[in-house]
Amino acid sequence: MNSWTGFFTLIEREAYRFGRLASQTIIPPVIMTTLFVLIFGYSLGEGIRQISGFSYIHYILPGLAGMAVINNAYSNSSTSLFMARMDRSIETMIVAPIPAFKVVAAFVIGGLVRGLTVGSLTLLIATMLTKLPFAHVGLTLLYLVAIAVIFSSLGIISALWAEDWDHLAVMTNFVITPSIYLGGVFYSIHMLPGVWHRISYFNPIFYLIDGFRFAILGVSDVNPACSAAVILGVATVTLATAIYLFRIGYKLIV
Amino acid sequence: MDAVRITGVRKRYKRVEALQGIDLVIPIGEFFGLLGPNGAGKTTLIKSLVGLCRPTEGSVTIFGHETQQEPVLCKSFLGLSPQEPNVDRYFTLRKILEFHGGYYGLERPLRKKRALELLEQFGLGDKADDEYWKLSGGMQKRAMIARSLMTNPKILILDEPTAGVDVEQRHQLWGCLRNLNRDGTTIILTTHYIDEAEELCERVAIIDQGKIVEMGPPQELIARHCEQYIEVRGKKMKKLTPELLGALSQASEISPQEIAVQRGSLEQVFIKLTGHSIDGGGS
Repeated sequence: MNSWTGFFTLIEREAYRFGRLASQTIIPPVIMTTLFVLIFGYSLGEGIRQISGFSYIHYILPGLAGMAVINNAYSNSSTSLFMARMDRSIETMIVAPIPAFKVVAAFVIGGLVRGLTVGSLTLLIATMLTKLPFAHVGLTLLYLVAIAVIFSSLGIISALWAEDWDHLAVMTNFVITPSIYLGGVFYSIHMLPGVWHRISYFNPIFYLIDGFRFAILGVSDVNPACSAAVILGVATVTLATAIYLFRIGYKLIV
Repeated sequence: MDAVRITGVRKRYKRVEALQGIDLVIPIGEFFGLLGPNGAGKTTLIKSLVGLCRPTEGSVTIFGHETQQEPVLCKSFLGLSPQEPNVDRYFTLRKILEFHGGYYGLERPLRKKRALELLEQFGLGDKADDEYWKLSGGMQKRAMIARSLMTNPKILILDEPTAGVDVEQRHQLWGCLRNLNRDGTTIILTTHYIDEAEELCERVAIIDQGKIVEMGPPQELIARHCEQYIEVRGKKMKKLTPELLGALSQASEISPQEIAVQRGSLEQVFIKLTGHSIDGGGS
């Protein structure tokens, strides 16, 4: 029995799922990010002075791309797994001869592919609209993957925890989205007053955005090594948690 | 070696003990039936076999392999058609079957071919590219069974496979299951239709309130628990006695209405052992 075929089939299923819904899964986030670029970059951004030596549009672009990856990776794995729980199609994966870690890996890769697709399209459009420098191309790719892994894994954890769509929305509306917006996508934390500046250091998403900004622009609010450590650490913990929960059959096996 | 060996399996939920010490051995190639009313524990037992339920106590082995120790290997032997659909409702039938084959390691060309063959076999060939939710209840049920056969499982588990399927299709399915069993597939069937169990199964287990209350070949159970007799002109006889033969020698004078054969039924066995009918009503 070759469980790798099962693993690749699960990935194919994920790609089929979001591919057939491209008008809902791929195109809107790309349009939204482009609108962000136009509104914040060209319209409102004209009135903002340079940050760390970059125009406002350049400064926010890495954060916008990172935000697109975060939202899409999270949304893909959480929606896919939660739908599978609701229509019980998850049972077909549990009873199939595929180890739990491969099932989790397939969901993560599904989120990764969608996150990278939207993130790459965003960066592509950004490069076409502005002259975006890529200070560290390899690191940019690495961070894209790491951020997608983190939020795909978080999506899996949320989908396992949630009892209904409201629960899932709670995670998105009250945890993920505020953390992104308070994570320095649109500003440098050095622009924040004292207490908010200090609070930002407790927001893991700040390190993801800041690290990603360093990879693209070569500038950062904190030491890049610190961001790298947080990104890799959070990726390891979230992925391990998702695998563990799946392995024990949390809310899946009675 | 046995196909399935269940030893002392108990499953406790918070306040309910769904399985209360099940012991069951199903030899390779047997057509085995599980009979019981709703809530008897049939589905919990099946879930314990396929890995959707973790027993509180006891062990389950598939072809000698313990399901908790070697889950992936055990799962590779099984095919399941569940009572309630568990599919991606917005996928086409073709994709549902192909993906299912892929989960069990079938390579792409083989699973494409097999999916089409099975859809044709179950009268769903022209629905291959329709989304699952658009099909009628009977078609959905047939699609579930077709999916369970994608991988040529060594053990096929069918949980209420003919509920909602019309009589003609039910008989076609019976034929298909008999052929599979003849070719060596071990089949475990749960059903509400006692005639189905009687028709298909070599042995049945009657399960009630989490316990197996009786087990054996249907005819043996009927013989064991039902009164069987021939009644001629109001006189009951259990055997072909000279008296009966004498009565029958005058058959030209006996109208068919004056002869009755009481052979018993699995339904009667069920009611006698559980105190209620299989649909949960009182006896």
